[in-house]
Amino acid sequence: MALKPRARNARLLMVCLVIACLVVITVDFRQGDKGPLEGIGRATLSVITPFQEAMSKITRPVGNFFSALVSLPSLKKENDELRERNAFLESQLSAAADLQAKVTELEKDLELADRIGGGEPTGAFVISNGVSNFEWSITIDKGSDDGVQVGDAVVVSAGLVGRVVRVTGGSADVQLITDPDSGVAGRIGDTKETGVVLGQGERDMKMEGIDAAVPTSQLNGKIVKSVGYRIGDQSNVYPPGIPIGTVSRVLDSAGALSKYVTIAPVVDFSALDVVLVVRSGTPG
Amino acid sequence: MRRTVSITLIILTALLLQSTIFGEIRLVGARPELIYLVTILLAMMEGPSEGAIVGFAGGMAQDFLLNQPKGMTALTLTLLGYVIGTLRQYIVTPSPWLPVILAGIGTFAGVVFYGSIAFLLGQLDTGWGYLLKVALLSGAYNALLTPVVYPLLKRVSQASSARRVFRW
Repeated sequence: MALKPRARNARLLMVCLVIACLVVITVDFRQGDKGPLEGIGRATLSVITPFQEAMSKITRPVGNFFSALVSLPSLKKENDELRERNAFLESQLSAAADLQAKVTELEKDLELADRIGGGEPTGAFVISNGVSNFEWSITIDKGSDDGVQVGDAVVVSAGLVGRVVRVTGGSADVQLITDPDSGVAGRIGDTKETGVVLGQGERDMKMEGIDAAVPTSQLNGKIVKSVGYRIGDQSNVYPPGIPIGTVSRVLDSAGALSKYVTIAPVVDFSALDVVLVVRSGTPG
Repeated sequence: MRRTVSITLIILTALLLQSTIFGEIRLVGARPELIYLVTILLAMMEGPSEGAIVGFAGGMAQDFLLNQPKGMTALTLTLLGYVIGTLRQYIVTPSPWLPVILAGIGTFAGVVFYGSIAFLLGQLDTGWGYLLKVALLSGAYNALLTPVVYPLLKRVSQASSARRVFRW
């Protein structure tokens, strides 16, 4: 069957574009983070950032409305639970106030604030939630102009958010700790069990290699906090003592020497608005 | 010229919406794929050449915003635009459901194709189960969005076409 000239043109065009794509994929793959394409990527990012910023100001209330709508049934249940908890907690509060005073004192002694990174933290607004279904990331409105560097930890008051993976002048991409590429060294509660907390996307995070001798009751529901050093081939060091999540399930396979736990993040990543970047060094 | 400008604007708007508002409005954990949707619908209206060009441009734009090997989305969408544009020429009975069906199936196929390339390049770190789930959900999401997006795109596309006829 002879093709009409129009159809032939379309096919030729398609073939040319496909070849162009393959060239771009290859070039980018071979050059990694230092190639010219990465530079173009950063430039694109810094061009589109102001628009995203403006857009997220307008759309955030709308988005919040819809997410609230989706979670309405569970909110009611949560409300009931919270009431119950509230009553219980109020009774404990008086005892806690006394303890709190002690803790504040101890914290001052330890100069905890000093140990969280060498530099000063800076606040930043979340301006974008990432584009892809296969990446868990956010974009914030502080970049290298504000002293933010690749590898800096990002936190909120509840706990650890992630780390900076790409910076431009006025914005930075943050990989969330739920991203499958992310690994954070953490410790479970006050046990000696440490390990790398691996992101698993939408599912809870996971920590492997826990001694099978540790009873499940000692792990369940415990808070996992970051430790300030590197475990294994993990790429990043996070400041110590920042909550990552709570142990949601303990799974042990019969006969195995170790078990693993899943960890539910303490931070609600869908509702991030303002975050804190722990700047590790001087700008430049 | 007019056409290039309007297509560029469509792609930029889709990307902005995708990275801001649709990052928050998720359907059981998945986002829609607006660039896929725009490519499919424009390919349907304009044919394979336009589909391939829009897919290429939109895919590249999205790739450069992501911290991933560049060109993967562009490759997927170039082929998707071409295939949808070609398919459309063989469908004789236009049904009002056609855009919705093509958007759903096209997005599903596109996401699976994207995942396969990512797998071949060693970039798929989520697993096939998750990939299939996302493909199904974003296909459904795109199909749902079609009745809103299709008329909009149709108007923009007609307003910027070269054979513009004024009627009163």
